[in-house]
Amino acid sequence: MTLWRHETRLLLRSRLALAALILMALLSAAAVAAGMAEVARQHAAIDAVAAAQAEDIGAVADYVDRTKDAGSAAYYSFHPTWDSPAPLAFAAIGMRDVAPYILRVRALGLEAQIYDGDTFNPELALPGRFDFSFVLVFLAPLFAIALFHDLKSGEREAGRARMLDAMPGGRRLWFRRAMVRFALLLGALIVPFLVGAILSGVGVGAMLLIVIVAALYLLFWIGLAALVARLGHGSTANAATLAGLWLMLVLVIPTFANVAINRAVPVGQGSEIALAQRERVHAAWEIPREETMRRFYASHPQWADSPPLPQAFHYKWYFAFHQLGDESVADRVRAYRQGLERRAAIANSLGWVLPSVGVQALLTRLARTDLAAQLAYQDRIRAFHRDLREFYYGYMFRDRPFAKADFAHAPRFGAPLTP
Amino acid sequence: MSAVSLIARDELRLMRRNRVAVTAVVLLVILTLVAVVTSWTHQQGIAAARAQHQAHADHAFEAQPDRHPHRVVHYGHFIFRPLGPLAAFDPGVDAFTGNSMFLEGHRQNTANFGDVRQSSPLIRFGQLTPAFVLQAVAPLLLIFLGYGAVARETERGTLRPLMLQGASARAIVLGKLLALGSVALLIAVPAMIGFALIAGQAGAYAGPMATIVLAYAAYLALWVGIVTLVSMLVRRRRDALLALLAVWAVTVVLLPRVAPEIANRAYPLANRLQTDVAIARDLRRLGDSHNPDDPHFAEFKKATLARYGVTRVEDLPVNYKGLLALEGEALTSRLFDHYAARDFAAQAAQNALVGAIGLVSPAIALRQTSMAAAGTDFEGHRRFLEQAEAYRYDLIQRLNRLQAEAVTYADDTAEDAGADKRKRITADHWRKLPEFGFRAAGPDALVRASLPGLAVLSGWLVVIGAALVLATRRLGARR
Repeated sequence: MTLWRHETRLLLRSRLALAALILMALLSAAAVAAGMAEVARQHAAIDAVAAAQAEDIGAVADYVDRTKDAGSAAYYSFHPTWDSPAPLAFAAIGMRDVAPYILRVRALGLEAQIYDGDTFNPELALPGRFDFSFVLVFLAPLFAIALFHDLKSGEREAGRARMLDAMPGGRRLWFRRAMVRFALLLGALIVPFLVGAILSGVGVGAMLLIVIVAALYLLFWIGLAALVARLGHGSTANAATLAGLWLMLVLVIPTFANVAINRAVPVGQGSEIALAQRERVHAAWEIPREETMRRFYASHPQWADSPPLPQAFHYKWYFAFHQLGDESVADRVRAYRQGLERRAAIANSLGWVLPSVGVQALLTRLARTDLAAQLAYQDRIRAFHRDLREFYYGYMFRDRPFAKADFAHAPRFGAPLTP
Repeated sequence: MSAVSLIARDELRLMRRNRVAVTAVVLLVILTLVAVVTSWTHQQGIAAARAQHQAHADHAFEAQPDRHPHRVVHYGHFIFRPLGPLAAFDPGVDAFTGNSMFLEGHRQNTANFGDVRQSSPLIRFGQLTPAFVLQAVAPLLLIFLGYGAVARETERGTLRPLMLQGASARAIVLGKLLALGSVALLIAVPAMIGFALIAGQAGAYAGPMATIVLAYAAYLALWVGIVTLVSMLVRRRRDALLALLAVWAVTVVLLPRVAPEIANRAYPLANRLQTDVAIARDLRRLGDSHNPDDPHFAEFKKATLARYGVTRVEDLPVNYKGLLALEGEALTSRLFDHYAARDFAAQAAQNALVGAIGLVSPAIALRQTSMAAAGTDFEGHRRFLEQAEAYRYDLIQRLNRLQAEAVTYADDTAEDAGADKRKRITADHWRKLPEFGFRAAGPDALVRASLPGLAVLSGWLVVIGAALVLATRRLGARR
């Protein structure tokens, strides 16, 4: 034990090592704090939805109550949906800065609504977030390089290496030294994360998993440093080689792979869905209204006993052709989604050979901030939208009046999922 | 041959003998070439695709049958933001903004389908473009090649003999700068080849391109200076390398990510839900066309009847429903403009704050200069959004005017069997409506936008230059 303590003291006496460890801890703490502040902001935005929504829907209710027309209620009522950040989201903001986590939808055609974004500043999103995953994936390896590039070559250059090797237990000495550096670096990196995770209510399992992943990722870089050291060059050459490897593994290969993946998996532009859906929706004005209703009832027989259309405009026809418009592009929607999933899947499988990508993918998955989480949110919106349609159709197709009290019966977006 | 060029040649010969150094330079040149080719084809592909989509949308709009004008207001129009030729060098925020927009009456939609939500998640690691290679990777190579330039001589004790042989400290430093500078030139060449590809295209102006060349030249020169300076100040090579890597990591990797975080905190943006609710609230206050007792529209009706000297809307020579639509759209549009201006101001303040942080990170200053000159920064996107809104308003009001003038009030309010047919106006009206054409910023505006960043880079050059002079004096005093 004294030997360990001695090694620790020896390491901390080095100005470079001490500065590196303190800086690592500070950066990790700052990233955790920034991530938690962002998540708190998102929670606050979601919490503020209810009040704004109540005000907005109140005004719609006042207006609709004059006619008690269910179609107008459906047409003018926006319903909020939201995607609450998972407890771990602070560690990896992922796509939550560029994809909306609050979206209002109406019972009208969903394909014209579900791809809408929120207000964000693209210049701020461009460089990427400063969160724990960035510190772990991008910065921690640099600190590992700083601490390990001269583990052995430093002693050789100081003329002590032969003596140390000749001493009994020489090999254990290197192991001890490496372990001390590794443990301190991991501690500096992970303690701020653990504090943040406990404050955010992350489960013990997820916390443990991330500690293990962070440890393995650091060990990968330490192993790489050991391999480079075996080439037998000086400390300086080691540092240069390792920094070059870092550049390739963390910056160059992922950006290159992004180009390759986007080439290999062409995805039709999402705007084509929107265009196609609009054509189908508006074509309904050019054909007999009964034709639209016949088609709608064929696929939605539960409403087929609705009274025939009156001479004047009726919203049930309007909503029927909106829904038919959505259904006409279902194949495109599926293909679009599969393309996105395929791109993400290839990127994730690249993570098996490229630790930087693997760690990032794993963190965003655990934090529910990756593409899969985005698509899951879209699925929840779709399910909610189905409920909305059912709800309003129950009035529209049965010609039931829609009074002020009925607004309170409208479906509400379900409780957000928690892992 | 002067002492300066002798020292420079000696330094270059040493680099040539270093296999790792040669490999690194070759790799970087290849990487740049790959970046040039991929981002050029990418830009060409995107530009062609968007032009094609725009043509498709224009065709769809014009191919509409006879319709009631208000149907066309809801049918709306799709527009796509074209991508300028300089985006092949620096695509800026293009992938991070939506590039298509649906324009319709009563509503202002977001620009949707940005690449960041469609491409592989690896896009968040960065994009392989010539700009990225020169901004992030090239400085690292200069560090690898140059950290030992003077530190090596100091460490091995060869500096003193060199000076005793008659080389002045000034000549030594200038020689080292010259050697590293020629490497910088070498690695910048492939990116400039990309420029040759771009230069031939319409919209590639000489002014912004010259600005970009100047900015990158200043940036690389700055790194040449920083590397040499640190190599002079630090006595051991390894310390020089570690110090330079730290400078690089902080200014190129860390600060560009920390700055947005600070800007986000300092100037929070309202989200869309809150903005939409606020617009609806303001609208109810201004004039609610749904409310039969609304004072604004009651006043509007009275004024309209008075203007035409009639007592009933049925007696107006124009369709009152069209007039209402015109007035309603004018009200909402004013609110859209108001709230958009508020959001744009917040975003501009955020970017200005990042720019201020760019005072300590030349990489941020260069990125802003580069995007500004290429027209791919936030301002470029804002131009698109503002022009889109102006076009939307104009289009919708033309359609509302058609409703007021080409559809009679009696037909518009009729609900009999033949009413639908009488409400429609002929399809050639749609073909007469103007198409959307994005007016990109002119060369002067682009150059002007890139000046602040260029000034920061120049300031840095001056500071590093002065530091080099001082350090050279100290080096000379060591003799």
